[in-house]
Amino acid sequence: MDNTVIISTPPHVKSRRTTKMIMLDVIIALLPCTAMGLAYYRLDAFITIITSVLAAVICEFIYYFIAKGGFARKCKDAKQVCKDFLHQFDFTSIVTGLILALIVPSSVHFYEVMLGSAFSIIIVKMLFGGTGKNLVNPAATGRVFMLLCFSATMGGIVTNAIGAVGAVGGDGVINTSATVLTELLGDGTTNASFLDIFLGTGITGSIGETCKLAIIVGGLYLIIRKVIKWWQPVLYIGVSFLMTLLLYGCDGTKNFAMMALDQTFSGGLFFGAVFMATDYVTSPKSRSGQIIYYVILGLLTALLRYFTGVEVVSFVIMIGNIITHLLDRYCIPHPFGYVKVKKQKAPKADKAAAKDAGAKEGTK
Amino acid sequence: MKAVKCKAFFRGVHPHDMKYLSNKCETEVMPAPKVVAVSCSQSLGRPAVPVVEIGQDVSIGEVIARQDGAISSDVFASVCGKVTDIKDLVGASGATEKFIFIENDGREDKKYFEPLKDEDLTPQNIKQRIRDCGIVGLGGAGFPVAIKISPKSPVDTLIVNGAECEPYLTCDHRLMLEHTDEIVRGARYIAKSLDVTNIIIGIEANKPDAIAAFEKYDDIQPVILKRRYPMGGEKQLIYVCTGRKVGLGKLPADSGVVVQNVATCFASCEAIEQGKPHVERIITVTGKAVNTPKNLWVRIGTSIKEVVDYCGGEKVKPLKVVQGGPMTGIALSTYDVYTHKTTSGILLMTPEEAKRDDPTPCLNCGKCAEVCPMHLLPMNTAFYATAGDYEAAAKFGNTLSCIECGACDYICPARRPLIQSIRATKAAMRGKK
Repeated sequence: MDNTVIISTPPHVKSRRTTKMIMLDVIIALLPCTAMGLAYYRLDAFITIITSVLAAVICEFIYYFIAKGGFARKCKDAKQVCKDFLHQFDFTSIVTGLILALIVPSSVHFYEVMLGSAFSIIIVKMLFGGTGKNLVNPAATGRVFMLLCFSATMGGIVTNAIGAVGAVGGDGVINTSATVLTELLGDGTTNASFLDIFLGTGITGSIGETCKLAIIVGGLYLIIRKVIKWWQPVLYIGVSFLMTLLLYGCDGTKNFAMMALDQTFSGGLFFGAVFMATDYVTSPKSRSGQIIYYVILGLLTALLRYFTGVEVVSFVIMIGNIITHLLDRYCIPHPFGYVKVKKQKAPKADKAAAKDAGAKEGTK
Repeated sequence: MKAVKCKAFFRGVHPHDMKYLSNKCETEVMPAPKVVAVSCSQSLGRPAVPVVEIGQDVSIGEVIARQDGAISSDVFASVCGKVTDIKDLVGASGATEKFIFIENDGREDKKYFEPLKDEDLTPQNIKQRIRDCGIVGLGGAGFPVAIKISPKSPVDTLIVNGAECEPYLTCDHRLMLEHTDEIVRGARYIAKSLDVTNIIIGIEANKPDAIAAFEKYDDIQPVILKRRYPMGGEKQLIYVCTGRKVGLGKLPADSGVVVQNVATCFASCEAIEQGKPHVERIITVTGKAVNTPKNLWVRIGTSIKEVVDYCGGEKVKPLKVVQGGPMTGIALSTYDVYTHKTTSGILLMTPEEAKRDDPTPCLNCGKCAEVCPMHLLPMNTAFYATAGDYEAAAKFGNTLSCIECGACDYICPARRPLIQSIRATKAAMRGKK
């Protein structure tokens, strides 16, 4: 035998599914939302989506070009660098760019979304070590960044081509500074019917978040492809719904059930629950951790929406992402066959000794 | 008895089983090779101590190395001839083992034990015979059977493991089809030595012919197992067959169960009825890179090169040569390796079969934890072990409970070498204790 055989640790067979394929699945799942966004907001949405995705990929490339290895050497050998880049490119920045475009309103200017996308990729993702190392969800953080920097356009005039036909008429432009959710959170009434909220017709909102049906279709695809588990978005949305119901039930709002339902179905909750909270990198590893994580997200969303009166999903997901690292440390499942050992009461002297030992360990 | 479906279930993975390559090939007896090199480390525990000298004549079945301590097993000459050499060599696992070389003189002189008569079949005698014949667990671990059937806690069930959940391998499958009777008799002997009457045989659903073959016995309950890897893992098998969980660091016997592989039952049957020590076993030679996949009876100590040559050699240049199954087997760097009691297969894998992409960053997708039959967190182990912090790796990944089935590594979409991290962690933690 010559030296062409390779040796390695087992297993010697591998499943066919790779990271790239998972990311491709996510992109496919986002297509219905993208299509509905394009249908509702036409050219504005198109420009936003294209700008955001391109900016994300280009930023990743620029970072790759500058940060890894000598810049001068890479300039000389640019072709090879491009090849290497494509080899390691795993579609994650496309996903980030696409999600970011879908969670901003179409009223944003293209340079704003470009900056937001660049911020997501370079600051939030690449500077923390690239794929799999980011502490918070890049898209959610990018949205928050844009919300703070460009608040005028982020909640500004939104053109809804289809909705305009039925709802407002005229030139197809709804002049409003509020989405249905802000209306609901403000005075508790909206002109939109539940069906409008569900389909996204006649209401305004972010590009990909308005049509709940498209989000559910994408979510079902992810569940069928086993990218996410069915109970994850259901738990998040369910807890949020129940908490909203409780809050409005307690403060004596008339028609509180409809109110809670409308609130749950409006805004970015569905999109966030399906595509952003389930982000692998920033959600807990163990199942027990994940359950706590989604319950916390649901509770925070309902509470913050109720008390602050603004859309909070991106903020809540960021908070959840940070809690994730705490949950990962403490939510470790017991191995198969684990039997709970009854704690024996150790004599006090032993405990003190153990403490001493612990302190010494700590100082080392 | 009529076969029943297994009740319990666990996650695991579902690799393509690739058994079609060799599951229709009837077993053949490979002619004894010119030279055998029998390793003294054939079982878990301490290696056996050679009791023959260079130049001594031995016949088939003669003890050439005695067990050293309780967890160890005797080693027998698998051919008749002269001992030519006793030396240390690097074995398949990469560890140095003592090998006894015997040159075959072509005679078939046998030096077996006396067959046990029916009236001598006491538990004590059966155990003694199994110990004398050096029978070890042939599922892979090689734990001496004599120890396994002398449990300290009371046992009420014997499970015969016919799952053969490893892809590619078909040796147990062929054995179950061709030697059903012997397996059943062997299982009855072992049950008798344990004083149990409840015998279950677990067979994966992809071997319906084998399940049907066992349905005609009244005292054996066949259980159809779901096609899942690692269904044949001892703890998993006990769980799916009986619903009992084996505690961490506990033996199956503590849950009242003893598990024996079908090949072990067959070897025990031969040991008792013919007095035949463990000198040969059935090996699957398969993979897309071998000319004719076969199931072969091979003398222990045959060089793998000869086995492969007997199967027509390489069809195409293999990328990987594996001893054992593809999920837990050892990748070999050379054909100069000799078969053991526990060698269940030789795989010659083409580049398409064994291709392994470069690892990409961990996405924390949790698939490894999802499929882990032991409910561990392999991604944590890999994360901390890569950073060199083995204590944290063991703590946050519960690594020390790992059975190294390889399911996590198989499923990982980022192609990370998880088993490597796990083994490194285990080795480091063992060093610390």
